[in-house]
Amino acid sequence: MAKIIFLVDDSATMLMSVKNTLEMAGYKVETAEDGVKAMAKLTAGLKPDLIITDINMPNMGGIELIKKARALPGFRFLPILTLTTESQQSRRDEGKQAGATGWLVKPVGGADLLKVIKQVLPGA
Amino acid sequence: MNALLEQFLSESRDFLQGIGEKLMQLESDPESIPLMTELFRFVHTLKGNSGLFDFPEMTRVLHASEDLMDAVRHGRVSYSQDLTDQLLDAMDFVGILMDEIETTGRIGNSHATNSVELTKSLRELLAAASTESEAHAATPHGISDIDHPSVDQVLEEFAAVEVDFANDTTASFGEPAFELNEVVAMALYRHATGGARVFWVEYIPEPECFFKGEDPFYLSRQVPAVLWHQSLLQKDIPSLAEMDVYSSQLVFQLLTIATQEELDDIFRYVPDQIQRIEIPALAFVVPFGSEHDDTIDDEFITRTVGFINDGNLERASHSIRTMLELSAPELWSSSLLRWAQLIIELEPDNALIQCALINQLRTHEPLDLVALTQDISSKSASVDSHLPNADLPHEHDEHEAINSEASHTDATLMASFYTVLTAQKNVLSVPASPWLAGRMKSVATTLIATYRATHQVDEIEHIEHALQQALADNTSQPLLAWIDKVLDSAPELSDIQEAAPIEMPIEQSTQEVSVATEEVILDPSSKFGRRVEDTSPHFGRRAEDTTTVVSKTLKVDQEKIDRLMNLIGEMVVAKNALPYLANRAETVFGVRDLSREIKAQYAVINRVAEEMQDTIMQVRMMPVSFIFQRFPRMVRDISRKLGKEVELVLEGESTEADKNIIEALSDPLIHIVRNSLDHGLESPEVRVAAGKNATGKLLIRATQESDRVLIEIIDDGRGINPNVIKQKAYEKGLIDESALERLSDEEAVNLVFAAGFSTADVISDLSGRGVGMDVVRSAVERINGTVGIESEVGKGTRLYLSLPLSMAVTNVMIIESNEQIFGVPMDMVVETVRVPRVQLSSIKQKQTTVLRGRIVPLLSLNELLALPQEQVPNEDDEFATLVVRVHGEHVGIVVDDFRETVDIILKPMSGILGGLGGFSGAALLGDGSVLMVLNPRELI
Amino acid sequence: MAIEYKKSLAVFTEFVGVEEAENLLQWLLKNPKGKINLATCEHIHAANLQVLMAIKPLVAAWPADEDLQRWLAVLEK
Repeated sequence: MAKIIFLVDDSATMLMSVKNTLEMAGYKVETAEDGVKAMAKLTAGLKPDLIITDINMPNMGGIELIKKARALPGFRFLPILTLTTESQQSRRDEGKQAGATGWLVKPVGGADLLKVIKQVLPGA
Repeated sequence: MNALLEQFLSESRDFLQGIGEKLMQLESDPESIPLMTELFRFVHTLKGNSGLFDFPEMTRVLHASEDLMDAVRHGRVSYSQDLTDQLLDAMDFVGILMDEIETTGRIGNSHATNSVELTKSLRELLAAASTESEAHAATPHGISDIDHPSVDQVLEEFAAVEVDFANDTTASFGEPAFELNEVVAMALYRHATGGARVFWVEYIPEPECFFKGEDPFYLSRQVPAVLWHQSLLQKDIPSLAEMDVYSSQLVFQLLTIATQEELDDIFRYVPDQIQRIEIPALAFVVPFGSEHDDTIDDEFITRTVGFINDGNLERASHSIRTMLELSAPELWSSSLLRWAQLIIELEPDNALIQCALINQLRTHEPLDLVALTQDISSKSASVDSHLPNADLPHEHDEHEAINSEASHTDATLMASFYTVLTAQKNVLSVPASPWLAGRMKSVATTLIATYRATHQVDEIEHIEHALQQALADNTSQPLLAWIDKVLDSAPELSDIQEAAPIEMPIEQSTQEVSVATEEVILDPSSKFGRRVEDTSPHFGRRAEDTTTVVSKTLKVDQEKIDRLMNLIGEMVVAKNALPYLANRAETVFGVRDLSREIKAQYAVINRVAEEMQDTIMQVRMMPVSFIFQRFPRMVRDISRKLGKEVELVLEGESTEADKNIIEALSDPLIHIVRNSLDHGLESPEVRVAAGKNATGKLLIRATQESDRVLIEIIDDGRGINPNVIKQKAYEKGLIDESALERLSDEEAVNLVFAAGFSTADVISDLSGRGVGMDVVRSAVERINGTVGIESEVGKGTRLYLSLPLSMAVTNVMIIESNEQIFGVPMDMVVETVRVPRVQLSSIKQKQTTVLRGRIVPLLSLNELLALPQEQVPNEDDEFATLVVRVHGEHVGIVVDDFRETVDIILKPMSGILGGLGGFSGAALLGDGSVLMVLNPRELI
Repeated sequence: MAIEYKKSLAVFTEFVGVEEAENLLQWLLKNPKGKINLATCEHIHAANLQVLMAIKPLVAAWPADEDLQRWLAVLEK
């Protein structure tokens, strides 16, 4: 059964790029453009195996999304990765504090992305 | 261009637009945190996206911009106009790069210098600010290196590390402690002496790690090349019933020969939760077994040590082997001897350790072999430190590198070439299908294009031959064989790729190749290949899995909309044939009932068609903000250049009109605004002297009035003096003396739109506008708009454009002339009259007549169209005359007869007919005939 | 997918997720003689691992997955 990865990023380009890579690797991908829309999907019953979220987004950023998602039933232990750039060390730590499993550094290349997913997602 | 790049370009343009706007807004509200945050986010995302592609010139500039914005956002750099200028320049540059990428698919080399320069000046702003603050002064920071963290990042990271230490209450790592058996220990020793580094890793996950989605066990299991591992609980759990299963008590310990990088990689998210210590080889040298036995006599020890010290390792080894054969293998001494043998084998030069180990047989004292060799290893380390020098590149190599640079391009091209060939081979290798013939043709086309692009024209003939044969036999074999032949004779692909590293830039000369490389996507390992879905069921799971919410907005290519509109247009026309049909049913075939039914059906189709038409119009509507959004930047730039202070106010940005209208409006509006700034608004000194506010006000407002859009450009500048205009117009012969008296002020001011009014001296003399205003007028009229101006000297000027909401449907009157029919747009028709021949009079060889007390010039349509025939009057000898308004004047066009008015979809003429003057386009009528629509403005 | 509880046997299959840990602890506390069958298990989440390590139930069948088997050797009494 294909693992579901929930991708949250306000940039359509980034969504397209990462989504393509993931779909090519056989994952099923759901997307949302910001934290608010992501929460809407999660509360509407989306059950991803992994969330990958951008930090800097309008309406609701990644950090808040992580905190909110962790508070939802069924998402306590969900692996969550943040999408950051190499200059955002402090945001990564902030993300970890908020409950992220780890981070991906933009631009995420295919091989690296898939490697990290395999590392945090048993059975992926 | 691949879809991702297209997406990137389209999204990036939005970002650039957004950045420009925010910078403008920031200028008037420099303290606004939300603005800065938003601005940072835009730049940040843009930079992140650019990193997906290989556009270093772009990424470099964006990176510097991002750092700068980040500093501004955190108050480390204060906002200044200079800063805005720099950032705007940077964004303009990025815009230019995007244009280039869009047209050529890549960034030319010429931009590298600019990119570096821009980056430097951005960094300088940042550096200047950070030296101001002493806290930052000591920290080094990158000037040009993309990956170099800025001062702030370094500081941020530093702060973050400190926080980690403060929170660090749980993990307490112990000394490496492992209980191995002899087999594992020896294996580790072998690895360690064989060049591998053995790491002791202790991983103590933080108690709350499960709530971060971590599985420390899974992570531990991923460590490669583990030779020993164990998991422990930190402490005994006092009461199982109260055990908190979700608070981690685990400790994982392992010995691995994985590399440092591999370990860092696996534990990258929990570096503070692991301890990694390199274990020296000798630490594993521990004899196992019972220590209590004295079977080894001194004589053996002395003799063996003697052999070792003499360097006679063979004899030493021999004597140990003999001793081992005599001893029980499970004894401690046997284990020690096995170790001694292994050390002699693996570290033959290490006599010290060999002797120390053997001597242990006598002392039975556990020995710290590692400490014993400390001296030696520190010495050898100093030797080692010289070694890397040997690896430094020699000058010779550098020369070679430069030489190979020249052949680089060729190699790249050839690599692309063979990639294309291989891809085509893959295409053909896909199991046969009903489309085989088409597939073979497309392969052949691709191959031919590839060969043409690489100037190997001779081969094309062979390809065509192979294709013919393949088509005849209905098998791809001949083509495959041909490709194989070429590939076989090719140099090793890997060689080529080595010479042409990594990416394959598309050369200008090989456009066909770039088309062909799309086929490469068929390789399932390539990243963004969507077409894989066609051939591999593995990836075909998207459709059935589609669930949950879908975005409500669609981005659609304009071509598709245009096509849809054309189709609907044709539908409308086709529908209009039904009344004809109904008529024929009744009159020709005499079936009245059928006629009625057709009419009823027509009513239904008509309603649907109209709704469709309405809807597509709606789709094509776009807000005027599309043009308005560029004004803040433009006004800012121009006013700064002119030294004027201008406050720009935009109103009604959400007012919508048809896309074509909006696009056609862009240039005239820019022209008008530029004129306003240039000539309308005064410099601050002049304004103050005139008792006005030093800052001029420019208002651009859009409003909708029934089916038209009204756009006003209002300034509170010096206004236009009608008398000056009149005088100028008279001097230029645009008006006669009587007009000089007759014209009202408003009419006079509107003379600025007259053709020929604008000349260079007008610009310099005139205190108003008039520069190319006739150009503005004709551009507006081309989209059926009108333009007007009102002005009050000293108070300001109001210029207004009135435009149709949509130009898709045109109401035309059909007229007849010379047994042909033509259309004339209804909005130009003032009235239709029949003028009796007796009322025609000639003034200066021109036909005129008097209508409602005004003299109206008359022109014959046949004459205008250069047809030799005379116009035909009706039975009462009256001429059908169409009075049209052209440039504010009434002109009568004499035709043969009037017919009905119809709604048509006007299509501009293209191709050879496109250059034809006097026609605004053509349309299809319900009976299928073509109607040419006249453009009286051009005709007259 | 998870753990299937029979009378006195808990059968672990494939990947046993983190959410199972609580039930596993309760079941092991209620069935002190309960055994575990890991034959077709490929991985257990660390939370389950620490439950097993704390209680050390009897292992009726070891995992076929050799790596997992080595890691779980700690459960041998």
